Amino acid sequence: MAIALPRLANREMARSQSDALRLFPTRWSRNATVGLIVAVAAFPLAVTSEFWLSVLLFVGATAIGALGLNLLTGFTGQVSLGHAFFLGVGAYTACYLGNPPEGAPAGRGLPMVVWLPAAAIVPALVGLVVGPAALRLKGNYLAVVSLGLVFLGAHVFKEWESVTGGSDGTSVLPSLAVGPVDFAGIGGLTKNQSLFYLVWAIVAISALACKNLVRSRPGRAMQAVRDRDVAAEVVGVSLARYKLGAFSISSGLAGLSGALYAVVLTYVEPGTWSLPLSIQFVAMVIVGGIGTTMGGILGALFIGALPELVKHYSASIPFVARTATEEGLSLPQLNQILFGLSIVLFLVLEPRGLAALWLRAKAYFKAWPFSY
Amino acid sequence: MRHLSRTAVASGMAALALVAGACGGDGPSATGTTGDGGSLKAAPGFDPATNTIKVGIISALTGSGAPIGKPLTAGNEVFFNRVNAKGGIAGRYKIQFEERDSANEPQKAVAAYNELKGNVALLAQTFGTPSNKALLTSLKADGILAAPASLDADWVREPNLLPIGSPYQIQAVNALTWYVTEGGGTGKKICALSQDDAYGKAGLEGVDFAATKNGFTVASKQSFTITKGAEAGAAVQSLKDAGCEAVFLGALPSDTAALLAIAARTQFAPQWIAQSPSYIGALAASPLKDYLARTFLVASEGTEWGDETVAGMRDMIADIAQLKPDQQPDYYFAFGYNQANAVVQVLEKAVALGDLSRSGIAKAAEEVGTLTFGGLTGDYRYGKAANRVFPRETTLFKVDPAKPVGLAVVKKSFTTDAAKEFKIG
Amino acid sequence: MTKLLELTFSGTIRGALYALVALGFVVIYKSTGVINFAQGGLLLLGMYLTYNARVTWGVPFWLAVLLAATATALVGALVERTVLRRMVGQPVFAVVMVTLGLLIIVQQVIPTIWGYDRLDLGDPWGVRKVSLGPLDVEVKDLWTLALAVIVLAAFFAFFRFGRYGVAMRATAFDQEAAIAQGISARRVFALSWAIAGAVATLAGVMLAAGSGGVDPSKDIIALAAFPAIILGGLDSPLGAVVGGFVIGISQSLTSGYQPEHAPFLGEGFDVVMPYVVMVLILLVRPYGLFGTREVVRV
Repeated sequence: MAIALPRLANREMARSQSDALRLFPTRWSRNATVGLIVAVAAFPLAVTSEFWLSVLLFVGATAIGALGLNLLTGFTGQVSLGHAFFLGVGAYTACYLGNPPEGAPAGRGLPMVVWLPAAAIVPALVGLVVGPAALRLKGNYLAVVSLGLVFLGAHVFKEWESVTGGSDGTSVLPSLAVGPVDFAGIGGLTKNQSLFYLVWAIVAISALACKNLVRSRPGRAMQAVRDRDVAAEVVGVSLARYKLGAFSISSGLAGLSGALYAVVLTYVEPGTWSLPLSIQFVAMVIVGGIGTTMGGILGALFIGALPELVKHYSASIPFVARTATEEGLSLPQLNQILFGLSIVLFLVLEPRGLAALWLRAKAYFKAWPFSY
Repeated sequence: MRHLSRTAVASGMAALALVAGACGGDGPSATGTTGDGGSLKAAPGFDPATNTIKVGIISALTGSGAPIGKPLTAGNEVFFNRVNAKGGIAGRYKIQFEERDSANEPQKAVAAYNELKGNVALLAQTFGTPSNKALLTSLKADGILAAPASLDADWVREPNLLPIGSPYQIQAVNALTWYVTEGGGTGKKICALSQDDAYGKAGLEGVDFAATKNGFTVASKQSFTITKGAEAGAAVQSLKDAGCEAVFLGALPSDTAALLAIAARTQFAPQWIAQSPSYIGALAASPLKDYLARTFLVASEGTEWGDETVAGMRDMIADIAQLKPDQQPDYYFAFGYNQANAVVQVLEKAVALGDLSRSGIAKAAEEVGTLTFGGLTGDYRYGKAANRVFPRETTLFKVDPAKPVGLAVVKKSFTTDAAKEFKIG
Repeated sequence: MTKLLELTFSGTIRGALYALVALGFVVIYKSTGVINFAQGGLLLLGMYLTYNARVTWGVPFWLAVLLAATATALVGALVERTVLRRMVGQPVFAVVMVTLGLLIIVQQVIPTIWGYDRLDLGDPWGVRKVSLGPLDVEVKDLWTLALAVIVLAAFFAFFRFGRYGVAMRATAFDQEAAIAQGISARRVFALSWAIAGAVATLAGVMLAAGSGGVDPSKDIIALAAFPAIILGGLDSPLGAVVGGFVIGISQSLTSGYQPEHAPFLGEGFDVVMPYVVMVLILLVRPYGLFGTREVVRV
């Protein structure tokens, strides 16, 4: 049942315990991270296309949830197809607290400093409640039961009309201001440009938190649970505590992700939080790289941006139908097929995901021109 | 930018136009017809250099909504191509359409909208109630006009939406009022069976209104959840136990089949009266066809498919023969065709007003007056959103497997007094 | 009384469909330890191939079913051969996700070939019905019930007496020991996928027969059948069938009585009822009613 992860052989050798625990194992990785942050910060100013901004907004919002799922699946070895449920809990928490009181369903009109943290805390608590039941189960049984969570959750979302708007759904229009800064439009920036900073700042904070968690004592305990749960218990790791802890944190990040996803979407209905969304998250973790922090973000980028790239360059793909009235394979179908294929191919050919491809490329250039 | 562009087909259309020859209004002669010839300013989706107006279509082209979304979009396409073949809007501005798939999911619709909004003049179709609700905030913020493919009455008072057709409420009011007055339903036990969402509730609202106006009570109201293959036996059984003699149905075709199969098996044969999207032509070819022919009425609009006495139908059949000969008869196609017609009428007005910008198009929608559809759907009077007058007519069809789409007219385009009194917003 | 009978009968039929789907899951799990999320895809394929043979080529109905079942069995074996075999020894969730990926692909390929419209299977039953005491039942429903029982009996005989059935059980029990005894694990794996494909075809045909109709969203029943297999225990054919009936009947009774007697549970509670039953049973028995407890050796 444990997820055995192949060691990344080409990582720089750690000579001591403290080496292995460094935030950035090499100067290279630190510089790369700084570069990435600068690139992300400059993006909305350099690329003003509303379309690409919105694609990357969705990518950012989902990346936070992918980080959470990676913590649960990649670092603790628990499979969950129930992630979409916790996204929903986070989103509806944000709606209930943050939406204006005059809307239907009525919100509380609270500021972002209240609704955003609450959107993480409430799902984390729900995770604590649901967790003990779910974590009694293992492997396949857990996968199917977490699937049940999505269906039961959808029923609750549909029936709790005073909060969720029932099957009519609800608009998501909470205040986006923190003190003097309003992320609905900072300075002369558009809404999407401003939101971009909010979302990606939270991605950065979440990534740092995850990274710090996994290199600390609880993080090592979690990985011990993943690699051999019985052995972990023998050396004094409390299985229940760390499994439950990981489940709760993962649910909290999912909630945060759901709240931002809803803000970007501006409207949610119970059908939004369904099985395909859960599958997307697992796919992000797989494609990005299981058990690596960067993997969650890379996976979200790949799964979120690939369909858009395909659409953009579809004019040069020969056999695809261009309009609804043409027969044959249509573009959206092709995109779905590529989505399915990428899951299958990554798992069969490169189970360590994009993050491993990156390490491999890096290792190649490190030794260049002496490739071996 | 250039994806999904229909240059190839558009040039084909141009060729057709040359062959047809008769329409002399295209090309150079049109330049003089509008006073501001050539002076229209560039706007999102409008390029004065090429004289093309780009419109977006966001529809369900995959997933369970596709059997509805695909013919709808085909209807859009055929009408636009017909206009292009005659030279375009005002005889000179060609329409180009860009299609995106939403799979009837709001998040995909929003993503598609963000991609399209920068380079289209308006949205010629936004499919489904949830997607329209998701898009409404952005449409208002960006000032873009969109034509919803959904007969929800909520859209009537939204200035950024361009609905056509009688709302579901009106279908229910007209059909039930007809039933208790001249349809032989006086004193019969009337019930309702609807799916538990906004679409089902819209019909129920009409049922309740009809009950108040005509002084009958609804003997039993049952609902079922929209899940493919939901266990619907209990709802049908309850209606049977309540002794219902007529049932108003608000479902989607796959559920209609499941529900009627149970009714047929348990020998429950009330007068079914259905909201238009409950029916699809394939049902008239299914093993249920005999049961349907005996018991089923559909409340919709327009006329029988192929009824050449109606000008709109005659034109549409001719357009299909010329532009898309393999199109099967389909009322969703007709809806898409009418919808594109409404869009074209608004664009004509915007060109006449000399402004194809977003605010210009919004103004055109206010000042366009009455939109007409050659009898395919009711006249729709536009104006400020608060003053719009939506059509209140309904055509009742019965199932006749020998007819195209399996539908024969029972009573054509009638408006009951009760429907005239129905108010929205 | 009629209502109770009526609800129990329709629940039983639904249960028989769940059972047919669930048996396909069990045969793969029993020999390879994989939950095959692509079972719904096999079901769609079998259903559409039957349609194609029956309606497009005009082959007699039962021959069409036979052809489709054979073809789907071959596809199942091929998928095992080309994809799943590479996943041996990989973590559970990786294998689950591979089958999910396959499902996503099939779900798009099917409508690319046959479109999204609802089609008629061309089965011999239509909506014909017979009277059984106070109940009117469809002939098709009786066939569904009979098929579920026949397939269960065949499974039982196969696993008990069949050469490959015994080999399959042995492989599932201890792969290495089985190979040492001269059993070809590869052949066993391929065979189990082939059987799953054939059974999925039967489920698909019964689902689309009569007024059911052929359309690409019919695979949803595979998700609804999950609670049945979990309930019965992943590796027990008898459990799959019992689980199927329990879920089907409880769902039907819920839809009949919950709106009156427990309205606070909300509209459409019957749709989620299977999951409620599943969770309740798992809390008591983490390996289902008939499942084998996994023994972990350290």
